[in-house]
Amino acid sequence: MKLISNLLLLASAALLVQAAYAQDDSLAKGEYLTRAANCVACHTVPGGEPFAGGVEFKLPFGSLFSPNITPDTKTGIGAWTDDEFVSAMQTGVGRDGKHYYPAFPYTAYSKMSRDDILAIKGYLASLEPVEQAQRENHISFPFNQRWGMVFWNLLFLDDERFQADSQHSEEWNRGKYLVEGPGHCGECHSPRNLFQAVSSDRSLAGNLLQGWNAYNISSDPVHGIGAWPTDVLAGYLKDGAAPGLGLSSGPMAEVVENSLRHLTDADRQAIAVFLKESAPRTEGVPRPQQVTLAEPGSGNALGNKLFAGACASCHRWDGTGSQSQTAMLLGLKTVNDPAASNLLGILLSGHGSADMPVDRLMPSFGTIYNDQELAALSSFMLQRFGDSGAQVSVPAVAKRRTESLH
Amino acid sequence: MQTLIINGQSQQVDVAADMPLLWVLRDVLGLTGTKYGCGIAQCGVCTVHLDGQPIRSCVTPISAVVGRSITTIEAIGETAVGQAVQQAWLAHEVVQCGYCQSGQIMAATALLQSQPAPDDQAIDAAMAGNLCRCATYTRIRSAIHSVGQVEEA
Repeated sequence: MKLISNLLLLASAALLVQAAYAQDDSLAKGEYLTRAANCVACHTVPGGEPFAGGVEFKLPFGSLFSPNITPDTKTGIGAWTDDEFVSAMQTGVGRDGKHYYPAFPYTAYSKMSRDDILAIKGYLASLEPVEQAQRENHISFPFNQRWGMVFWNLLFLDDERFQADSQHSEEWNRGKYLVEGPGHCGECHSPRNLFQAVSSDRSLAGNLLQGWNAYNISSDPVHGIGAWPTDVLAGYLKDGAAPGLGLSSGPMAEVVENSLRHLTDADRQAIAVFLKESAPRTEGVPRPQQVTLAEPGSGNALGNKLFAGACASCHRWDGTGSQSQTAMLLGLKTVNDPAASNLLGILLSGHGSADMPVDRLMPSFGTIYNDQELAALSSFMLQRFGDSGAQVSVPAVAKRRTESLH
Repeated sequence: MQTLIINGQSQQVDVAADMPLLWVLRDVLGLTGTKYGCGIAQCGVCTVHLDGQPIRSCVTPISAVVGRSITTIEAIGETAVGQAVQQAWLAHEVVQCGYCQSGQIMAATALLQSQPAPDDQAIDAAMAGNLCRCATYTRIRSAIHSVGQVEEA
């Protein structure tokens, strides 16, 4: 009898351990997917408690504030059932039938399976609850009528889970799932139509939001990432830098920081494989094609002087940035965008965070130089390192100052 | 342990990979001729040569220079151009307080090594990132011109 009871004890202990492992696995999966979906980005204010919400989204018709998704039962999602959470993620309808606005990318999360979504819920539930009440949205009529989203959803929400396409490799399918599902890349990188819906026939063709240009990342070699070697693109998703091709800045630097660098090498490679085979879109800022390094003309003595004094020591006169590979200006869309959206964004805000290698940091020039100086400097850079021949106006700098710098 | 080639000699250092080269030069190897100014590549006093190119050592992590040739102010006089620059500096009495001058000499030498007789515009462009609070700029320009003429003769 003793033997049997011991065996039983052992067996039940093994079951318990297995259950604990399963729970660990599920938590780890939830954490991974939470990162892949970059929930933290929109649900955390700078310096605030992670996932406690309160981030403002400025839309043409008012402001939205992201909710608290910590497991606090009063102000967070602690009391939510599994069905309620899945419904929010797949159909954009939250607890008590409340319709969300599509600033919350449920049209992308809708592709995720119930299992994956519940793994995220499980991970969020394992966090410390934070009591932080929802900030009131300021949305003008008729857009403040949430029920109106029913019609929007009829038009723009597929409410379909991801289906693998057997015509393509497993890697491609994994990449597509990550890009179109949790990664929701198109939310920033695809243009939106009049109804603020992501435009499907122009997917990944690039978009301008809050002053930053989320470039075309389709497979077109001139306008998109078609000319990037696949492993270099995967490396960019990890390090945020591909010298001579792209350097993540502004919101994309945060995506790398919060999300992409935490993914596995295999997942980043899968994303790169899918993007390289995506439908080519020939719109947006082209990469500079034939740069002749026009000699600094006397027409812009101010821009010339500023570049020599403040920029050349790291970026070098010829833009090769031998001080640091990541300081390479040649080949970047940043110096070929006639609107200089991201160039001005970086000049105004600087680049990098405290834990970055010292050769990746750039000081901010927003308070040191006035609008006239920054217009001259950015015009000089566009003309010297790009082929757009564009000129940046003083009012354009003033306007860019009012937009998002992070 | 990282191996650095400094002034032609192989040196072993055991420091964090992200330590700036300037820290290694001054605090680990005792090469204090290179100065600390702003720490963000905006003033030029920490200029050294990496494979002959002027770089700001304050923002260059040690991991980026392993196995590459680094020249500092201590050894620049051993090159022909560097020696000519130092002589010209003395002849033109360029130095005032002197704090920025290691960087000025390194930048001027790199310019003259790639462009033996630079004109004013080339000098302004190459030297613009090196600040001098004593405003020795006109003498720096004259001294560089004088080396250029020597090279031409």
